[in-house]
Amino acid sequence: MKRRSFFGFDIFILCAMLMLMVIGVLFIYSSGVSSTGISYSDEYKKQIVWIVTGIILMVLIISIRVSQLKAFSLYIYVFFILLLILTKIFGKVVNGARSWIGFPDIGIQPSEFAKIATILFLAFYYDYIGKKIVKLKYFLLGFIIILFPVSLILIQPDLGTAIVYFPIFIIMTLIAGAQVRHLLFLFLTGVILIILVVLPYIESQIIREEYPVFSILKNIQVILILLAFLLLILGIAAYGFFAFKKRVFFWIMYGMSILTFAILGSIVLGSFIKDYQIKRIITFLNPYIDRRDAGWNIIQSITAIGSGGLFGKGFLMGTQSHYQYLPQQSTDFIFSIIAEEWGFFGGILVVILFMIILLRGISVISNTNDRYAVFVGLGIITMIFFHAVINIGMAMGIMPITGIPLFFLSYGGSSLWTALIGIGILLNISFK
Amino acid sequence: MTMNLPANRLVIRISKARILFINILITASLSILIIYLFTLQIVEGIKYQKRAKEILKRDIPIIAQRGQIYDRYYDVPLVYNIDSFAVNVIPGDIPDEIKEEVFFRLARVLQIEVSDVKKKTPVKYYNNYQPREIKSGVSYPKIAYIAEHVEDFPGVTWHNKPIRGYFFVDSLAHILGYTGDITNDELNTLYNKGYTLNSTIGKSGIEKQYDFILKGKDGKRFKIVDVKEKQLTAKTDEDIPPEPGQTLVLTIDRHLQLLAQKALGERIGAVVVLKPATGEILAMVSYPWFDPGIFYSESAAEKFKDLSLDIRFPFLNRAIQAQYPPASVFKIIMSTAMIEEGSFPISDIINCKGEMELGDRVAHCWKEHGHGKVDFFKAFANSCNIYFYTVGVENIKIDSIVRYARIFGLGSQTGIDLPEESPGFLPTPEWKYKKEHMKWLGGDTMNISIGQGWVTVTPLQLANVVAMIANEGTVYKPHVLKQIRDSITGDSIKEIQREELQKALISKKTFELVKKAMRTVVTDGTGYFITTRAVKVAGKTGTPETGQEDRYHSWFASYAPYDSDNPEDYVVVVGIIEASNIEEWWASRTANIIYQGIFANQTYEEALVTLYPWMRNRIKQAEETQNTASTE
Repeated sequence: MKRRSFFGFDIFILCAMLMLMVIGVLFIYSSGVSSTGISYSDEYKKQIVWIVTGIILMVLIISIRVSQLKAFSLYIYVFFILLLILTKIFGKVVNGARSWIGFPDIGIQPSEFAKIATILFLAFYYDYIGKKIVKLKYFLLGFIIILFPVSLILIQPDLGTAIVYFPIFIIMTLIAGAQVRHLLFLFLTGVILIILVVLPYIESQIIREEYPVFSILKNIQVILILLAFLLLILGIAAYGFFAFKKRVFFWIMYGMSILTFAILGSIVLGSFIKDYQIKRIITFLNPYIDRRDAGWNIIQSITAIGSGGLFGKGFLMGTQSHYQYLPQQSTDFIFSIIAEEWGFFGGILVVILFMIILLRGISVISNTNDRYAVFVGLGIITMIFFHAVINIGMAMGIMPITGIPLFFLSYGGSSLWTALIGIGILLNISFK
Repeated sequence: MTMNLPANRLVIRISKARILFINILITASLSILIIYLFTLQIVEGIKYQKRAKEILKRDIPIIAQRGQIYDRYYDVPLVYNIDSFAVNVIPGDIPDEIKEEVFFRLARVLQIEVSDVKKKTPVKYYNNYQPREIKSGVSYPKIAYIAEHVEDFPGVTWHNKPIRGYFFVDSLAHILGYTGDITNDELNTLYNKGYTLNSTIGKSGIEKQYDFILKGKDGKRFKIVDVKEKQLTAKTDEDIPPEPGQTLVLTIDRHLQLLAQKALGERIGAVVVLKPATGEILAMVSYPWFDPGIFYSESAAEKFKDLSLDIRFPFLNRAIQAQYPPASVFKIIMSTAMIEEGSFPISDIINCKGEMELGDRVAHCWKEHGHGKVDFFKAFANSCNIYFYTVGVENIKIDSIVRYARIFGLGSQTGIDLPEESPGFLPTPEWKYKKEHMKWLGGDTMNISIGQGWVTVTPLQLANVVAMIANEGTVYKPHVLKQIRDSITGDSIKEIQREELQKALISKKTFELVKKAMRTVVTDGTGYFITTRAVKVAGKTGTPETGQEDRYHSWFASYAPYDSDNPEDYVVVVGIIEASNIEEWWASRTANIIYQGIFANQTYEEALVTLYPWMRNRIKQAEETQNTASTE
């Protein structure tokens, strides 16, 4: 097999990743410099420690054979599910979510590593069931695999991290050969469900006017009548389908079920999700309604990025960042300080480095015959991709604030290790 | 089907189409991010660069010097500015471990409680760099102490916050007014007129009326701050210097003001001295007055409260804000109406028996046994009520009375350039019907004929009534501002021109007769306390009822010199002494001193000395006439 690498694995991915991590350390340092030019934070030193240990971890992962990884998939998955349960009970609360476990100062966030664990086990499952994925039952079983970690993370509560599991599931399942209508069913149900949960808040927070349509959706009686109506149509369509065997009845049932599940799901989700969580998420639609709180972050981030211009204000010369207007510069909003100090070129460099990792990653998995490796690789690529799009989009004010980090750049051990383990697996796949 | 087969992992190949889909998804998404980044940074970059600067930039006002106020001589400022300081604390500049200590030291120097300092720097601002004002009106020595021990006071700063100083104020307090910190209500209504939360604003008098001229325009000093408001750099090149307020020159003559103030003495009442040819107020006294300096003292709130609770209402400018019945002074208007309308011939006689019947009511003259047979001049000079009752009810009638009262400006503000002027009140039959659903009665006309009942006026309105007579038909709007001058060059920017307020189409003949009648008041009537030989005075007395028996206010509305034809020479003096004073005093005696002072060019003390023998004679004469009258 033809390979474009010096060391037997994909050099592009490795170089892009290393560059991102160097940029990360530079700007974690920059974000720790005060308005008077004094460096007051040693986060960048800690990050270097995380990088070094992370790379050691990555090398270890590369040295393991993919088949061994596959054999341990179930145990790894079960281990992290148990760890998530323990976190819920004994964990430490950070930023409002009980997501940390371990000793003070050197704890980990199991929810980050659980992504990899879930990807491994889901890949194992899809590889194991093979063609049977086209059956609804096996499709749903796959969905249940991600529902365990998702539920455990949702109750921490960490909505942002939980959401990442869905695109990973959808992409992996799509590639595993599932029927498009199954996936579409899940996708549409999810989209409608989110719209139903968020709409009343858009009415009250963003538009700030009463629309009868929205008010109806808040009325439980109306919803019950609607549900009864949907079930009635569903029943009729089911009868029609079994009596006349016409495809049209199937699609009516399909549509009605989506709506029914979306409404039921929105009631369940709406009951335990907190108002402030939804508010935080939709603030990006109009940050000025909440300019002191969540909106502040978005406004300052957009201003920092926009004022960077073509070449930026220069390294350590950012005003919005060093005068501390920009919040969480080393973690959630690291992209903003890069774009402020290095301008459009800095921003585009970061995006292109991610693009190299992702597209090279796809090319790596296209060149392997091991179905398990394909699924795992794709899961990891989707994870990195989704994190990048949501985080950069959030910094620019076009994506909701979910608080998920930008891999390789954001300060933090758990997310960096997760990313390095992921890349380790990808390189491992490319190694064969 | 497939269910029956063993799971075969090699059966399904990865779909190339689906891989391609993911490739496109990734490329498209990241491209969108790049395109959006391009819009933010390149297309709209300028907008965000501007916004970023705005977020960092703060402006600090540089307070403009408030304009000074002079009297008409423009030699010494009556009101000027005194340096005074406000002390601030920048909490973020005080190390946390010595905060308590610094607060304690500061409180001791400023002579306030430590809790007051803490109240103004709440714990949540401990890391903030925005200066917080702890105390204003701090004297220079205290600032000097802090400056000398600067190492003991980290984070303590001060800025100049001038207060008003007075060269001469006394009874000018009502006219000059005072200043204070702007209130939220004031800020709400004046927000777009250059006021800010830290503005000082005129609260009464001239300071309030002409605040927009006096305050000038605050300058701005720019600085770049971080999110905690800590100053990083000063942008001195962009500073906008302040424009000082302009100087006001008043029509007031401070020597005359002092004369009038002393002539009124410590008697509750008011005096207005007006130049009818222009409408200029030469002096305006209202007793009791207050010291505006207290508003800049350290116990301002306390003293303000005390004065507010004083039952003599020292904040009230009685000259324009108090309303009294005009009483017999109203007979000036009655006479003008009677002569001009030809309602009753001036030579015709009315017999005053001391009382008269109207319907079932018996009305009395102030003189118990009556004035006997009186013609117009005798009736006016002796203020015979029976005469004016009769001509009011039978000849002039209410419609004409109201019409003439309006011509003389009763019931409406004079429009003087001082805030909160009262309009007085002029009752009409329509008003009475609307308010009480009762017809206007003959008794009501009798009341108004002698200036009693519902009709009320301010002393300034009566000054205008006299001005109308003196000017023979014209009244100029009374005003206290004479000119506006540039505070730096001293050049006159604006001269206030006289402005016609009323122009009556009444014949010269009528005015001459009324003037003559007013002169007889002084020579042969109730105005016998006018003893000055410096000038010939014409006027009218009035003794409004107060509701209490034997307690009367005392009016004297007059002008001089009677024998001059040049309106420029005229001076109008109107005084009221309230019945609430313990000793009895007559407004005409106050006017007498003022005329003597003006026309003999004497001070109050000199005028008293000159007038003393004449006054003693006059009082003796008066007593003698009274004795002969009672023995008759």
